[in-house]
Amino acid sequence: MKYLLRRLGFYALAAWASVTLAFAIPRLMPGDPAVAMFARFRGKLTPEAMEALRAAFGFNDAPTWSQYLGYLGHLARGDLGISISQFPAPVGSVIAGALVWTLFLTGLAVVISFTLGTLLGMVAAWRRGRWFDSALPPLLTFVGALPYFWLAMLALFVGGFTLGWFPTGHAYDDNVTPGFTGAFVGSVARHAVLPAATIVVATVGGWMLGMRNTMMRTLGEDYVLLARAKGLSPARIMVRYAARNAAVPNLTGFGMELGFVLSGSLLTEIVFSYPGQGYLLIRAVQSLDYPLLQGLFLTVTLAVLGANWLVDLVYVWLDPRMRRS
Amino acid sequence: MRLRGPVATSVLCALALGCASPRERPAPGVLTITEEQSATFIRNFNPLQYAGDVRWPARHAMYEPLIIYNPLAGTYVPWLAESYRFADGGRELRFTVRRGARWSDGRPFGPGDVVFTFKLLSRWKALDVHTLWKHLASIEADGQDVLIRLGRPHMPVLDAIAQQPIVPEHIWINVPDPSTFANEEPVATGPFTRVTSFRNQVYEVERNPLYWQAGLPKVKALRFRAYPANEQVMLALLGDELDWAGAFIPAVDRIFVRRNPAHHHRWFPLIDATVFLYANTRRKPLDDVRVRKALSMAIDRELIAKVALHGYTRPSDATGLSDAYARFRDPTAVARGDWVAFDLERAGRLLDEAGLPRGPGGVRQGADGKPLSFAVLTPAGYSDWVAAAQIIARGLRQVGVDAAVRASEYQAWFEQISNGDFGLAVGWSEAAATPYSLYRAMMSTGSVLPLGEPSGENWHRFGLPAADSLLAKLELATDPEEEKRLFSALQHLFVEHAPAIPLFPGPLWGEFNSSRFTGFPNAQDPYAPLSPHLEPQSLLVLTRVAPR
Repeated sequence: MKYLLRRLGFYALAAWASVTLAFAIPRLMPGDPAVAMFARFRGKLTPEAMEALRAAFGFNDAPTWSQYLGYLGHLARGDLGISISQFPAPVGSVIAGALVWTLFLTGLAVVISFTLGTLLGMVAAWRRGRWFDSALPPLLTFVGALPYFWLAMLALFVGGFTLGWFPTGHAYDDNVTPGFTGAFVGSVARHAVLPAATIVVATVGGWMLGMRNTMMRTLGEDYVLLARAKGLSPARIMVRYAARNAAVPNLTGFGMELGFVLSGSLLTEIVFSYPGQGYLLIRAVQSLDYPLLQGLFLTVTLAVLGANWLVDLVYVWLDPRMRRS
Repeated sequence: MRLRGPVATSVLCALALGCASPRERPAPGVLTITEEQSATFIRNFNPLQYAGDVRWPARHAMYEPLIIYNPLAGTYVPWLAESYRFADGGRELRFTVRRGARWSDGRPFGPGDVVFTFKLLSRWKALDVHTLWKHLASIEADGQDVLIRLGRPHMPVLDAIAQQPIVPEHIWINVPDPSTFANEEPVATGPFTRVTSFRNQVYEVERNPLYWQAGLPKVKALRFRAYPANEQVMLALLGDELDWAGAFIPAVDRIFVRRNPAHHHRWFPLIDATVFLYANTRRKPLDDVRVRKALSMAIDRELIAKVALHGYTRPSDATGLSDAYARFRDPTAVARGDWVAFDLERAGRLLDEAGLPRGPGGVRQGADGKPLSFAVLTPAGYSDWVAAAQIIARGLRQVGVDAAVRASEYQAWFEQISNGDFGLAVGWSEAAATPYSLYRAMMSTGSVLPLGEPSGENWHRFGLPAADSLLAKLELATDPEEEKRLFSALQHLFVEHAPAIPLFPGPLWGEFNSSRFTGFPNAQDPYAPLSPHLEPQSLLVLTRVAPR
């Protein structure tokens, strides 16, 4: 309990730091939103029009500290400002529209990839030296090392275009209405297969290798030997004794990965025309859309913190030593 | 093995889901268009908000202008106005507004709406991005007419006034701030006004049953799908998902047209602005016309057109006029402009003459003994320009100029070119109804800003008093013959001084699929440009296209 409270204090501090960083990072980027706007209009703006636009967009020349205070004040009221690249939509609604899809697609893909990779790694370590262990890890590492863009394009072209098995883009069919209907859920699932599958294929090798290697070490431990000597069933030894302990390092990675889910998968979103945070982020960077960048950084950093907090909780369950300290 | 079960099941599920997937097919009579490249859409139909993220139909299908300029025919098509005329030596511009047109909510359209719209621009400077009120003195309704007084006569301003989208007074008078207004439920005069569905990746706009052109439009509704990049648009075109698009596709004939020659069509007329190589005339020795002409002769434009532009264009002539200005082109000026012909030997001789002899290593040296060295700037995202810049740099190196391509991110490129912080740079030029703004940007002294001050035009900082007086006469010219004579004189001036180096006239991308719809413009029936990028010219296409 004390451990969890201490962690909570740390998270509060980290949350303040991420709020501040979300404010600072866009302002440290090279370039100036006003220049970006001038460039967007190909320089065809009079000083008066430019001034009026600056006012409409909410740019101001106030000192940084007063901008920071204003930002904190707005944040406290849940107001993230107006997006410039998608003017005049509020940042909150722009992010909300993309967040759900990113959470669904990238989240699902990361969970599947982690679970599948860990299970495969476990089996590979358990049957070390057999064909399963010698063939699969190199194969998956090879596939994972292929440029993702190329892999995704190939999947889109073959699975979506040539064979026509899957849709070539978007999160769901044009002709279905969103809602909890079979048609909608089916359509969403169909549209998610190709993008999720490419992420899983590209990342599963890493999880598998990590799990396999830690598990190898665990299998040499005395308590595994003891379990064998006691005559426990091999499945129980594999899962409850060896895998449970071996999973801890992988889980740390999973926590990190889960947090970064919210930054989206830019390439997946572009190749499969999928709505999401990654595309918003690149667009915000290109047009120096400070309010949107702030909002995106904030959601990502808070998500990383939240995910780590969850992982902390799972540690306590996995590792009895944590409970005592 | 335990795992085999779930894995096999999920693979089967995935396959079942996939096999059950039908191709996306809209209802008959629904025209699918893509012009904006984006992964998602926000609902914004404010036609006045040029700075905002406004959806395509706002200025292409919903809100209409008084008159539409057709760059292919070189004619003005009466639209919400039946006619226009200048009076009082060009100080007065009078539009006669169409009778019988209605807003999509049933209220009548009239001169009051036109006056209101222009007054809105004067009150909200953020909306007046064409700076109309620099020229306008007053505007008022006079019966069925709209009477505009100009501060001083200025013919070229007609285009911007005539093509201003008009909004309804009875709605917009209640909008507190039109510069931040998203106009989610548009009321307009155009052929398509009813937004029947709007989702973040697809939306549909149905036709306006009260449209003033009886029996039009023939298309029932427009559908817009979000595609984040060119590759996705290409795939959608190949899969017959799209009816109309304006994407750059490399080797379009092989990839797209030949796949289904009966229905896959493309038309890339050379009516976009000419692409130029700008030479900063404030930097020695680029201030010397002989040097600029020599650099021009070292450029293999045939190769640029064939390789960098996939054969979609041709080398520019020395007047720099694209086909949008074909009716102004003066053959005698074109014939005089021999400095666009690829001739390395002549280029070398001219550079010798200009006092730039070859030094050690074959690189030419200026009077100060420094090697002649330039970076050729281009935005990195424009793959055709980058390829063109590489061909340019290779040609320059062959005549002893140390040139290298520097491709940078769009904003960085724009900052350098607009501040005059460059030696050589590839860039676009002005596109309008007449070459007035092109030549104004090329050589009027009034458009020259000091180095370091960001400028939207005349990046090469070149001014000629002789050009000023011709341009001033053009502002007053109402007689087409006189206008033509003045443009001829400007062309001769341009050919003589080579203020910038023309490369190729820009193609305007447009593709269509005729399996569901007919009536798109093409080379055989060039009634309007095909490209959906042109506003308000898309209205000409939307009122002609019909379902099969």
